[in-house]
Amino acid sequence: MRTFFAAVVFQALVLRRLADLHALITAPLFTLALVSIMVAAGRADLAAHAVLAATVIAVWNMALLVSGEVVSGERENGSLEALVAAPGSLTAVVVGRTVTTTVVSLLSLGESALVAWLVFGVRPQVHHVGVFACTLAATVVAMVGTATAFAGLFVLARSARTFQNSLSYPFYLLSGAVVPVALLPEWVQPLARVVFLSWTTDLIRDSLGQAPVPDAAARIAVVLGLGVAAHVAGLYALSRIVNRVRADGTMGFA
Amino acid sequence: MNAVEVVELRRVYESKRTPPRVALDGLSLSVGEGEVHGLLGPNGAGKTTLCKILSTVLLPTSGSARVLGHDVVADTRAVRGLIGIVFGGERGLYGRLTARQNLRYWAALYRQPTAVGRERTERLLARVGLADRADERVERFSRGMKQRLHLARGLIGDPRVVILDEPTVGMDPVAAHDFRALVDELRTEGRTVLMTTHDMAEAEAVCDRVSLVDNGRIVTTEDPRTIGRWLGTYERVVARGVPEPTLTAIRELPGVTSVTAVGDEVTVETGAEGATAGVLRALVEAGVTAVSTGRPSLTEVYLHVIGDRGSRVR
Repeated sequence: MRTFFAAVVFQALVLRRLADLHALITAPLFTLALVSIMVAAGRADLAAHAVLAATVIAVWNMALLVSGEVVSGERENGSLEALVAAPGSLTAVVVGRTVTTTVVSLLSLGESALVAWLVFGVRPQVHHVGVFACTLAATVVAMVGTATAFAGLFVLARSARTFQNSLSYPFYLLSGAVVPVALLPEWVQPLARVVFLSWTTDLIRDSLGQAPVPDAAARIAVVLGLGVAAHVAGLYALSRIVNRVRADGTMGFA
Repeated sequence: MNAVEVVELRRVYESKRTPPRVALDGLSLSVGEGEVHGLLGPNGAGKTTLCKILSTVLLPTSGSARVLGHDVVADTRAVRGLIGIVFGGERGLYGRLTARQNLRYWAALYRQPTAVGRERTERLLARVGLADRADERVERFSRGMKQRLHLARGLIGDPRVVILDEPTVGMDPVAAHDFRALVDELRTEGRTVLMTTHDMAEAEAVCDRVSLVDNGRIVTTEDPRTIGRWLGTYERVVARGVPEPTLTAIRELPGVTSVTAVGDEVTVETGAEGATAGVLRALVEAGVTAVSTGRPSLTEVYLHVIGDRGSRVR
């Protein structure tokens, strides 16, 4: 746990570059654009959905671009060898740093809500606070698990940038961030259902409404389950990476 | 029990695009506990590869390597708890953190309790002369300062075996002198030090024994003073405008190991005490005044030694 907590603090210290916080800068702008469309269309009641969309985009982007590059960043920095040679676990470092990044990325929720309120006078109401909070907590866990998988995949992949690009815009749709999954073409919906964020976005939308949230516990469990599955895949990828670079002698390569 | 025991270690780098490259070719080495052992050799000799295998970040192709009895492949966890490593160069530190933050982070990765990690951080910052700059971002440090911080990082886990790969690269002479004092302290504390270097003077100053490495094998392991004597034995004379009969006579002189002529310039290598004096005498008698003498570089000493033992090495 010492390594994990050290990594949490470490990430808080290094996460100060503008490039790393890019998603937090664009989140209010996305909010402005999306809420404007809702208001102009006479659907100010959907403004909260726009706030959610901007938040999901920011959280997903930081997972892809910051957490996903934790291991490759260490490699580029020339510190991966020393990190692997230390008794502390590399997995604990990756997870610790990813937790910080994910929590910081959630600041976009506050930013988006604030912009919606200050600019459009729209104040999203949360009617089911318990479901909302549990969904957020489960989402953090799942996002950390998914980001661990990214961190592994981006080192294994020959072109991480291509991976990152292909995992951004399509996932804004598959996550149900911009359009609820139920409104997507039928053939897309099964695909979307393996993306944990599609469950998150539905749950959050439901928690904003007055109607009871059906099967909340089960749906939150799905978010957690998909996140844990991604985490297991991430751990496997990380252990493969370490074994591979130890075998082929490329740990120090940038 | 030896601190480091390497037997017939072989490492081949394979790549789809290039032919396999043998970095270690059946290297064997023993380093006793508390010993300061130097590895000397030209670039590509296999020194860094050996350090990486001992640090568990690289797998050997065959053979075995043990640190304090623990196999570096089968028992990596135990080995990692016993070693501290310093890889050469500027990279490997976190530029956006201060020196103090860097060391505290690494102390946690070496599983030091927080209070112990903080105390060791302060002690090491003072020890490597960075206490006054402890709260400065590392990205502003000079190369030498980074190298000193690397040293501190390597010692943060209180290691019993310290592996230093080119530890003084980029250090100014004062810092390099301090480094020697630091290695002496490590010896006094009973730690084992395995260090690679190109600097014979450094090896002579701090090492108990020195191994010459070439082509992935140990050529010889000697007291550093012996290797220092080799450096004193081998000399080089460079002269211009040497008449052919004089050149022939010099070739026949005792202790002359090679004579090469490129254009007007002649280089004479000697390998025995007094041989250089004989060469100079012959040149002066022939009226040659454009003469200079010099010590060979460490690489040239390797070549002499490797040449002398060539039949055994290759």
